[in-house]
Amino acid sequence: MEDHTKEKQHIVSYKENFGTWLGLMLLTALTVAVSVVNASLITLTVVTALVIATTKAILVAYYYMHLKFEPKIYRIMLLIITLLFSSFMLLTVLDYLSR
Amino acid sequence: MAHFVLPNSGHNYDPESSKLGMWLFLFTEILLFGGLFIVYFVYRTINADAFLRASYELNITMGTINTIILITSSMTVAMAITALQKGKEKFAINLLWITLLFAIAFLINKYFEWSIKIEHGIFPGMEHYNGLETGQKLYFFLYYFMTGLHALHIIVGAIFIGFVIKGIQEEKVTANRISLLENSGLYWHLVDLIWIYLFPLFYLIN
Repeated sequence: MEDHTKEKQHIVSYKENFGTWLGLMLLTALTVAVSVVNASLITLTVVTALVIATTKAILVAYYYMHLKFEPKIYRIMLLIITLLFSSFMLLTVLDYLSR
Repeated sequence: MAHFVLPNSGHNYDPESSKLGMWLFLFTEILLFGGLFIVYFVYRTINADAFLRASYELNITMGTINTIILITSSMTVAMAITALQKGKEKFAINLLWITLLFAIAFLINKYFEWSIKIEHGIFPGMEHYNGLETGQKLYFFLYYFMTGLHALHIIVGAIFIGFVIKGIQEEKVTANRISLLENSGLYWHLVDLIWIYLFPLFYLIN
């Protein structure tokens, strides 16, 4: 019975944690740079901002929140919530854009 | 009367359920902030130019510093979990203290950011604010509400981590009973996640 409390966990190494940090910092630098440079060719639109932010969010969820190492059900649940929220968002924005 | 002892009384430790419960709670948080983001997108669609002009009032440097602070604090929490799993309690506690310092640094930065704006009269009800056009008013209202709610989450997360530090010191949270630390970590990462969206949407879009 005692064995039950001992989880067989994946231990994320310090190196992986640092690697994730590095990736997040690079993406942050990218968004800030694109915004500050403000060249007429590259401006930070809502879409670009969201794409970069979502890449960062996936990094955080997969590595820091250990989603990569959890049973599949966690990823499925998160996917359902994301789809639910995206459809709310899409329907609302479509409504306002089509008025 | 026979003396009954309930099986498992007082020693129910179920890491899988508590993690699942934490995730379910995080989903409600996602929808809470999600609703606000929908409001943001609707008003941005209607008042694109006013939102843009208002966003130039925000200080990108301060926002970037706070982003770096939060990303780094997420790393220290993640590393604290690694440390405790490897049985290095002392190192885990130190990493959590560093996380708390980052949380305080974030709040101090936020305090200065807000006070500069309030000094300029940009706060709902103040004179300068009242003279702004509707779109800019909406922008600042959302800015205060969303970053304020986020700052509240930082405070709650910091208190949660404080309890975990105490738990590790009292050996209630150990490598074999790591749930509390993991859940505080999940909460902290969610707060980081929300900021990842708040930062570009309020500070950077041009």
